[in-house]
Amino acid sequence: MAIVVAHSSSATVARATRHFPIGRWVLNGVAGVGLGFILLPLLLVTWLAFFRQEIPSFPPAGHSLQWFGAVLNNKSFVGGFLLSFQVGVTATLIGLALAVPASLAIARRRFRGRGFIDTLLLLPLIVPGVVLGASIYVFQIETEIATGLPLLGTTMGLIAAHALIVIPWATRLVTASLAGFDPTIEEAAKNLGAPPWTTFRRVTLPAIRPGIVAAALFGFVTSFGNLEMSLFLVGAGRTTLPIAILQYLEWKIDPTVAAVSVMQIALIGTAMIITDRYVKIAQVV
Amino acid sequence: MARLELIDLSKRYGEHAAVAGVTLDVADGEFLVLLGPSGCGKTTTLRMIAGLVEPSDGRTQIGGTDVTYLPPWRRNTGMVFQSYALFPHMTVAENVAFGLEMRKLAKAEIEVRAREALRLVRLEAFAGRLPRQLSGGQQQRVALARALAIRPDVLLLDEPLSNLDAKLREEVRIEIRELQGQLGLTTIMVTHDQEEALTVADRLVVMAEGEIRQIGSQRDLYERPADRFVAGFVGRSTFLDGRVTGPGEFETAGGLQLKCRDGAPGAAALVLRPERLHLGGANMDNRVPGKVEFVSYLGPVLELHVRLSPADRVLVQLPNRGDAAPAVGDEIELTWHRDAGMVFAE
Amino acid sequence: MIARQRTHLTAAGLVGPATLYVGIGILLPLAILFRYSLNQFVPGKFMVDALTVENYVKFFTDIYYYSVLTRTVRIALITTLICLVTGFPLAYVLARTRSRHKNLLIMLVVLPLFVGNAVRAAGWMVAFGNKGVINASLMGIGALSQPLEIMFTEAAVIVGITAVNLPFMVLTLQSVIEGIDRSVEEAAFNLGATPPQMARRILLPLAMPGVLAGTILTFILSMNAYATPVLLGGPRFQMMGPLVYNQFIQQNNWPFGGAIAFILMAATLLLTLAANLMVQQRYRTAET
Ligand SMILES: Nc1ncnc2c1ncn2[C@@H]1O[C@H](COP(=O)(O)OP(=O)(O)O)[C@@H](O)[C@H]1O
Ligand SMILES: [Mg+2]
Repeated sequence: MAIVVAHSSSATVARATRHFPIGRWVLNGVAGVGLGFILLPLLLVTWLAFFRQEIPSFPPAGHSLQWFGAVLNNKSFVGGFLLSFQVGVTATLIGLALAVPASLAIARRRFRGRGFIDTLLLLPLIVPGVVLGASIYVFQIETEIATGLPLLGTTMGLIAAHALIVIPWATRLVTASLAGFDPTIEEAAKNLGAPPWTTFRRVTLPAIRPGIVAAALFGFVTSFGNLEMSLFLVGAGRTTLPIAILQYLEWKIDPTVAAVSVMQIALIGTAMIITDRYVKIAQVV
Repeated sequence: MARLELIDLSKRYGEHAAVAGVTLDVADGEFLVLLGPSGCGKTTTLRMIAGLVEPSDGRTQIGGTDVTYLPPWRRNTGMVFQSYALFPHMTVAENVAFGLEMRKLAKAEIEVRAREALRLVRLEAFAGRLPRQLSGGQQQRVALARALAIRPDVLLLDEPLSNLDAKLREEVRIEIRELQGQLGLTTIMVTHDQEEALTVADRLVVMAEGEIRQIGSQRDLYERPADRFVAGFVGRSTFLDGRVTGPGEFETAGGLQLKCRDGAPGAAALVLRPERLHLGGANMDNRVPGKVEFVSYLGPVLELHVRLSPADRVLVQLPNRGDAAPAVGDEIELTWHRDAGMVFAE
Repeated sequence: MIARQRTHLTAAGLVGPATLYVGIGILLPLAILFRYSLNQFVPGKFMVDALTVENYVKFFTDIYYYSVLTRTVRIALITTLICLVTGFPLAYVLARTRSRHKNLLIMLVVLPLFVGNAVRAAGWMVAFGNKGVINASLMGIGALSQPLEIMFTEAAVIVGITAVNLPFMVLTLQSVIEGIDRSVEEAAFNLGATPPQMARRILLPLAMPGVLAGTILTFILSMNAYATPVLLGGPRFQMMGPLVYNQFIQQNNWPFGGAIAFILMAATLLLTLAANLMVQQRYRTAET
């Protein structure tokens, strides 16, 4: 049999033209509109923060950075930020301290009630924010009555409630990172002579560190941004940043509140970019 | 059923050319096998024929019609994917009927043709099952039936047997070949398994780095490989580095003077097929003493690694005739005909 | 036997604190709240211990409160549907893109989630006001002589809630679509299916678990929206979330507030369950 390399048959029609992939463009277009819709409010509020005039009328009379300074003179924004930050960090630490051991047990051990506990720990995410706030509100009142200790409206009370909403994220993310971790690696470490605690510290912990970092970020951001539940629990004159923004917006919208929003967007965006270096956010959400 | 022509077909991903100027003419009813190492562009070539990848350059013609830029749903190719790509939410029958529904055939005809396709692959009894309720071999056959049901102009098989165990592979590849013959389908099958390629193909195409290296029959590829790559890829060989010193003369790096086929003078590799080397045969052009360094007993054949010089070691396959086999450390004499030595310039 | 017990003990030690914390922190409060909802509210005397369903009866017999529930359900259904329809293409593109910027694109979807609802509502306020972007542009090109009333309308609330929930829908769908073998879509094209046919016959049924999960999630979130209706709907626009808050904090009517909270949870749960059943019936074969 001969080695035949084909020749082009001359009988065929002129070269067909490349078709314009309309379908793909329509699809990308619709997706772009969707993404734009998600981002539009953030873009608009960012724009407003740089207006020169105080009244949000369009088009702007000019641009200015003055409102970022105005934010720092606003007591409820500064106080709100400090409280939110304090509550967020503390609640995240408490939530992680509770959730990481629980995740280890859920991912690795087989015990009775495991499924139930797994679901229970997700509950703070499932129960709607207003219902959660209302029920913790009455719970804290009952606890005050029973013990005589002040709870409602205190930073302690707020932190205790926020730790609750950190737990589901932390459990989910740490469990997920453990699921992708081959337990025979731990066995290998033990086989090489490492006692359990050393195995955990030198082998398991580094492996789940990305999960813990992600859990810390998501926990903090959830707490920092929480509005509905906190509304019930803050004391008079002591509000978190989201509540301060909400109350300001109920009264009026102006470049000052836009500027504080931009600062919040920047803070959270930075936190996300930093986290992304440890664990790809695309893979954990 | 139709003739398939690829004319200078190329696909570039950025700088990298996955397929670089493939030209190929597949006759109506021919069974062509694309053979080549992983990553050489076989799948990409197949996907360009199916229209799933748009070529960067060149043309595709099916039955004399230019289909280069036709979307996949307007060509009539039947593809069997490496992963089978069965629709997991449809029964076997629904999977097979899908292409017919897309062709807007009458319900009764769809049923007849789907059943017919399932009968061809002997799976009528499984029509109501979901893909995940089938074994790997059965899933493979459903994928085949689904592609056959639409009576494709060209059947495209992308490593269709690679997920099956060795025994099943042998059965199924013969089945595929028989079906293809019965239906007279123009077929391109991709594989990186030589034995598979050799059993079923009318013609083989060896690809490497996006290019066609050789087209020919099994015998062509084995006896007259076009280049060093094909010689190494098809069948087993020993490569000895050295130089062509004159017409039919080769000097190895270890200083052995050997007779071989003709080749251009200069640095080259001498390629020896292991079964063409003998122990002390008569009337041979080459006669080289050596020492056995390793012996494997493979049943029908024995394999020896024989050192001919400090720099040259060759693989030898001897038929197992039940005689006393050479042992490690034995001094032996290897002989071979000059035609057994193929040379390829570096 | 002994070794087994030790495993149990350490497992309990690991999981115990978190379990107790969540159990006491959520189940107990919910129980107390439910008990409150059976108490009586006597104006001037505040909450009086009782065991009555009158708060629940009041909600369903008073047309004002009842209409808040129907409005909330209506808005939740509409926003969920819009989220599904606009979220699917974006989720598909994100799932299938081979772009280097995929991670960035996904972060752009996640960022607004983290930023909080009040801030996003602020963005829409910039767009919707009398002198906002929309009115200013339309009047600027002469399409309008009088500004449109957009703020404090149901439409504004729907837009706001949709934008808030869209990322949840997109992320849920995206992760499910990523799990669908791309070659299955290609097989459909190869067998003659056009992209719309492929989407309807292959993609949608296979993505059904994601559609269901995303729909439930966004529906629950819509039902319970707070900041968006308060800011974009204005003080007179009532949905269930703000209603619970008002009864608790402004009216100090804890029993009624508690009852509304439980009605909200029950309604959410029931509608979710119903949707679940409907979809499962329709796509029985899609179950995997
Ligand atoms: N979508 C793609 N983007 C970038 N490179 C690709 C893509 N598809 C294939 N390639 C590259 O093209 C080459 C050929 O791939 P393929 O045709 O799948 O090889 P084969 O099937 O022979 O193993 C490989 O190097 C592969 O990495
Ligand atoms: Mg391949």
